[in-house]
Amino acid sequence: MLPSAGKETWNASVNEEQHEHLVESNAILLDVLRDQVGTLGVKRGCDMGTCGCCAVLIDGEPRLSCLCLAKEAQGTQIVTVEGLADGHHLHPIQQCFAEAGGSQCGFCTPGFLIVSAALLDENPEPSRDEIKCAIEGNLCRCTGYQQIVDAVEMAASMKRNGAIPPNPTDPKSDPHPLGPDDPSLPPGSSK
Amino acid sequence: MAKGYRQAPGKSGDKKRTDGKRVAGQQDFGVPGSGGSNPHSNLQDLDYVPESVGGWKKQPRGPHVHDRHITGMTIGKSVPLVDSNWKVTGQAEYGDDIRLQGELIGKILRSPHHYAKIRSIDVSAAEAMEGVFAVATGQDSVNKFGVLPVTKDEHAMAQDKVRHVGDLVACVCAIDEATAIEAMNAIIVDYEVLPSIHDMEDGLKDSEHPIHDRGKYHIGESNVQKRVFQQFGDLDGMKSAPFVHESDWETAGLHHGFTEPHAVVAHWDPAGRLTVWTPQQVPHYLHRGLSAVLDIPMHQINVHRTFVGGGFGGKSDPFPHEMCAAILARKSGRPVRINFDREEVYWINRGRHPSRIQMGVFADDEGRIAGIETDALIDGGAFASFGHVTTYYNGVLHTAPYEIGAFNYTGARVWTNKPASGAMRGHGAVNSRCAVEVGIDAVSEQMNVDPMTFRLANLLPPHSRTITGFRVTSTGMRECLAKVREQSGWDEKFRNLPLGKGIGVGCGFFISGSGLPIHWDPENFPHATVHLQCDMDGGVTVHTGAADIGQGSDTAVAQAVSEVLALPLDMIRIRSKESDTAPVDLGSYSSRVTFMNCNAAIKAACELRDKVMKAAWEITGYNPDVLVLGDRRIYYKHDPAVGVSWLEAVHKAQADVGSLIASGAYRTPPMGGVHKGAAAGLAPAYSFSAYVAEVDVDVETGFVKITKAWAAHDCGKALNPLAVKGQIIGSCHMGMGQVLSEEMKYGRDGHLMNPDLLDYKIMSVHEMPDVVPIIVESNDPEGPFGAKEAGEGPLLPILPAVCNAIYDAIGIRINELPVTPDRLHKRIEKHCRKIKVDDPLDLPVPRFEPGPLQQVLVERAEAHAKRDHLRDIQEDRSSYVNGVLFGFDPDKPMAEQKEGWREAVVPTPQDLADPSKRAARAWGHVERRHRGDE
Ligand code: FES
Ligand code: FES
Repeated sequence: MLPSAGKETWNASVNEEQHEHLVESNAILLDVLRDQVGTLGVKRGCDMGTCGCCAVLIDGEPRLSCLCLAKEAQGTQIVTVEGLADGHHLHPIQQCFAEAGGSQCGFCTPGFLIVSAALLDENPEPSRDEIKCAIEGNLCRCTGYQQIVDAVEMAASMKRNGAIPPNPTDPKSDPHPLGPDDPSLPPGSSK
Repeated sequence: MAKGYRQAPGKSGDKKRTDGKRVAGQQDFGVPGSGGSNPHSNLQDLDYVPESVGGWKKQPRGPHVHDRHITGMTIGKSVPLVDSNWKVTGQAEYGDDIRLQGELIGKILRSPHHYAKIRSIDVSAAEAMEGVFAVATGQDSVNKFGVLPVTKDEHAMAQDKVRHVGDLVACVCAIDEATAIEAMNAIIVDYEVLPSIHDMEDGLKDSEHPIHDRGKYHIGESNVQKRVFQQFGDLDGMKSAPFVHESDWETAGLHHGFTEPHAVVAHWDPAGRLTVWTPQQVPHYLHRGLSAVLDIPMHQINVHRTFVGGGFGGKSDPFPHEMCAAILARKSGRPVRINFDREEVYWINRGRHPSRIQMGVFADDEGRIAGIETDALIDGGAFASFGHVTTYYNGVLHTAPYEIGAFNYTGARVWTNKPASGAMRGHGAVNSRCAVEVGIDAVSEQMNVDPMTFRLANLLPPHSRTITGFRVTSTGMRECLAKVREQSGWDEKFRNLPLGKGIGVGCGFFISGSGLPIHWDPENFPHATVHLQCDMDGGVTVHTGAADIGQGSDTAVAQAVSEVLALPLDMIRIRSKESDTAPVDLGSYSSRVTFMNCNAAIKAACELRDKVMKAAWEITGYNPDVLVLGDRRIYYKHDPAVGVSWLEAVHKAQADVGSLIASGAYRTPPMGGVHKGAAAGLAPAYSFSAYVAEVDVDVETGFVKITKAWAAHDCGKALNPLAVKGQIIGSCHMGMGQVLSEEMKYGRDGHLMNPDLLDYKIMSVHEMPDVVPIIVESNDPEGPFGAKEAGEGPLLPILPAVCNAIYDAIGIRINELPVTPDRLHKRIEKHCRKIKVDDPLDLPVPRFEPGPLQQVLVERAEAHAKRDHLRDIQEDRSSYVNGVLFGFDPDKPMAEQKEGWREAVVPTPQDLADPSKRAARAWGHVERRHRGDE
C-alpha cells in the first residue's frame, strides 16, 4: 500500500460560506468539493481536464477543479454553480440557458454556466466569437453548442438591461380569483 | 348557492333565479375562489388551434384525429424543459450524485487480456483487508442477462472467460475509494490467454474458441452472432441497369461520448427490497435483468432512474456494473455506489458498430432506382447487446424514402474481442444510409441529372408501402428537400464552386418507435402506459415510466397532458423516475418515447377530461358537446362568458370518488409483412430528413471544415420547436463528429488506444458550424398531435451530405469514415497520381451539364408533387406500394405480375456465389442444430 498522504486542514469560502475540512495534502479540489463540501453541482466528466464539467470560479477566475489541487485553492473564494443564483432569483445566465435550450441533459451545464458567468462579468457585450472562445474548453454532447451560444447572448443582453429573472417561488398564475363582478370579458372567444 | 359563474361585463348579477330550477346559461354563478393573482385566463389560444376545429392554425396537410383535443395551451410552442431549473442550479441529481448514509464505494476489477480463460481467482487477500466489506466474482452470479431476450449472453462478472480488455472479473466494496482500489489490486487472477480476434472478417471463420457458445443455435463454429438475408424485387432488372455505382465502405466504431460517466447506487432496504439508482435510458429492461440475475421477483426491486447525463443509446442496456452494485450491496448489507472513470466508459461501450459495407446503387434509363444492393458486415465486439436488431437495420432501413426496383441485403454481425458495440443514435442505419446516399449522388452524376431532382423524382408518396412491407404514413421528404434546396442556394452553388469548396445533399429515413416491443410477454402488453391523478388542488400528476435522458420526454408528456386539459405546464407534475410509482414504459430507445408515450398520455388525459366535463355539464347544464376547455376554465361555446372554473368542475367530479385518476396506454397497430425479420424496422411512423452541407477542403492537407449546414427534418409536428431544433442541431454535431473526427482507434494488437475525451475527438464549439434547423411538419395521422420522432433521424443525412460536398469540392468519393486529414490526404495524393496531376491545387473539379434525363425527371418530380399533395389532403387514398413507379398494379401481388420477382429471406447457393461479399460468407456455415440435415 502506498503510504497515504498526510491530512491537513483546508479552508476556503465556497459560495460565500466558510468551509473547513481535513483533507489529504494531495486532494483534488473536485473531490473535496463533491465529497466533503457537498457541492454536487460540480460535475465529474473525465477527471483530466477535457470536458469542462467541473469548472468553478476561484477568486472570479474559471478553473477546472479536476486539475486543481485543493491546496492551490486554500483560502480562496470559490463559486460553484450552486452559488450563481441569488436566493430563488436565478442568475440571468441560468434563466437563459433554460429558456434558450442551452441545457438538454444538463450534465455539462454547470461548467458552461460558470465559464459564461465569468465571461459576462468581464465582457458585458460579447460577440458570438468571443462567447465561443470563452466556452471552448467545455464539451457538450447534446446541444451542438448553438443554443448555448444563443443563451449566453441572451443573458448578456438581459444583464445589460438590468432585467431580473422571475422568482419561481412567487405564486403561480391563477386566472379565476374573481367573481361575478369582474368588469371585463376575458380575451379570446370561440365561434 | 348556485355553482359555476358568469364573467361578463355588466351582465353579472341581473338574472337571479329563485325557484331553484336550472336553466342552461341563465343562472347566476358563484365565485369559484381558487386563489391566485391573474385576473383572467386566455381561454383558447386560437393561433394554435387548428382550422379544422375552429381555430386559426393552417394545416396544409389536412386535419388530424387529435385536432379536437387541441386547446392551444402548449403544443407547438417553444417551452423550456420542465426540469431545466434543476439542471441550471446544479440540483439535478445524476448517478454519482446519489449519496446514501453509510455508503460504500465499489470498484470493478477488469480483464487486462483480450481473450482468456480464468483458471482461478483468489480473493482472500482482498477480503481480509481492513475496510473491505465484500468481494464478489462470477461465482456470485451465474445467471445470464442481455437486453434482447433472444440473445442473452452477458453475466455480471466473467464466468470462465474474459472476452475483451476491460471485461468485468470481480468487484469489491470498501469504506472509501482508496481502500477499494487497494483491495481490487489484491485480487489474484490466473489467466490462460486465448488467441483473440480483432478483425471482423476473422469472426466469419470457424474458430477453435468461439467467443460465445450458443449451443445448438450456434452458427457453425464461427463467431457469427447474427446473419440476415433479404431479397425483394426484380433482381434481374437491377443487374441489367445501365447506371451503377458500387463502393466498399469502411467505417470506424464510435462511442456515444455522453458527458456523464456511468454510475450506480444500490441499496437493499430493511424490508429486503432493492432500490437501484442509475442513469438508465431503459429502466424496465434493467428491472427485468436485475430480477433474473439476482434471482428475486421484479416486485422486490425498485429501479430509480436518476437524471441522465446524456444517453444516445449508450445507457440502454442493462449493465453488468449495475448488477455488481446490487450484488455487493446484498453481500455487505450497506448501500454501494460505483462510479466509472472515463476509461471504464469506453470499456463498456455499446457504441456504433465498426462496419464494412459494400453498397451498390443501380439506376435504369428512365431515372428510377432499379435497386439497392447491400452487404454489411458489422463488428459487434464481445457481446450481443442490441446487435440482432442492428444487423437488420443496416439493410432494411434503405427501403425508403425512395421507390426501388429491388432490394438485396446480406448482413452479418460477428463477435470479436473488443468492447461490445450496441445501439447508438441512428441505430444501425447511419453508416449504410451514408453509403446509399453517396451512391445516389454518384449515379445521378453518371446520368447527368441534379441529385436533388433525382431524389425528388423517386420518392415514395405518403400512405404507401415499401418493398419489404413497411407502412409509410406521413412523409415530409419532398418538403424537406425543397426547403434545403431553396435556403442553401443549391441551384447556384451545386457544381459551381471553386476547387476546395463544395456543397452536398443527403437524406435520411428513420423509425419513430419500433413496431414490436423487445419483450412481448405477455403478448398484448402495451408499449407505453401513463397514469394521471388529479386531486383537490386541481393540478395533475403524471406517472410515466418514460425515461427523460435530456431529450425532454418529461416535457413532451407534460405538454400533451397540459394541451388536452388546457392547464398551464406548471400545474402538471411529472413522476417518471421510479418503477415503484411509474407504469411500465419500454424506455428511451428506437425514438419511441414521444410517439408512444404522448399517445398514451393523450388517451389518459382525454379520460380525465371527460370526467371533468361531465361534472361541468352537471353544473352548467350544457352538454359537453357545446362546452369548451380553455385555460383553467370550461365555458359555453357560444358565450364564453358563461362557464365554470377547472377547479370547481374538478371538485364536483371528485364528489364520491375523491382523487380523479385516469390511465392510457399505447400499442402499435398491426402492420407489416409476414416474412422472417419483417418486424425489424417496422414502425408506426417514420421520420424523414434532408440536409445540405457546405465544406471547405484544404487540398494540400486534407483538412475538411464544414462551414454551414441546412437541416430540414420532418418530425410530423413540432410539439416543442425549441426542443426539436435542439435535437436537430445536436444530431448534426454528433454526425459531423462521426464523419470528420470521431473513431475508436484500435492498435495493432487490438488495444483501444483512445479511451478518453482527449483523443476521442468530439467536436468543440470551434469546429461546429452554423446549422440552420428547418422544421417540416407532415402531421402524421397516428402521432400524438401529428408528431413523429426528432431525436435520431436528424443524424443520418449529415454524413452523406458532407461526403457529397467533399466530392463536389475536390472530386473524390469518400468511402471511409471518419474523413480525417491523414486519410483524405492519402486519397488526394492517390487521385493526383491517377489522373496525373502534380499539384493538388490543379485538381479538376466536377462540373454539371444537365443530360436528357434531367428534364424528364424534373417533370416527373412535379407530377409526383401533385400526387403527393392530393394523397396528403384526401381522406380517401388509393393503395400505393413500392413498384407503382415501375408500372406494377398495387392491388395485385408483385410476384404474379413479374416473373423472377423475389421475396426471399433464405439464400440459395447462387445468391452466395459472389466471393467478394463479406457478410454473405456468414451463410456458409450451417447452424449446429441443422448439421447433418442435408
Ligand atoms: S472533470 Fe474536469 S474537465 Fe472533465
Ligand atoms: S446538455 Fe448534455 S452534454 Fe450538454
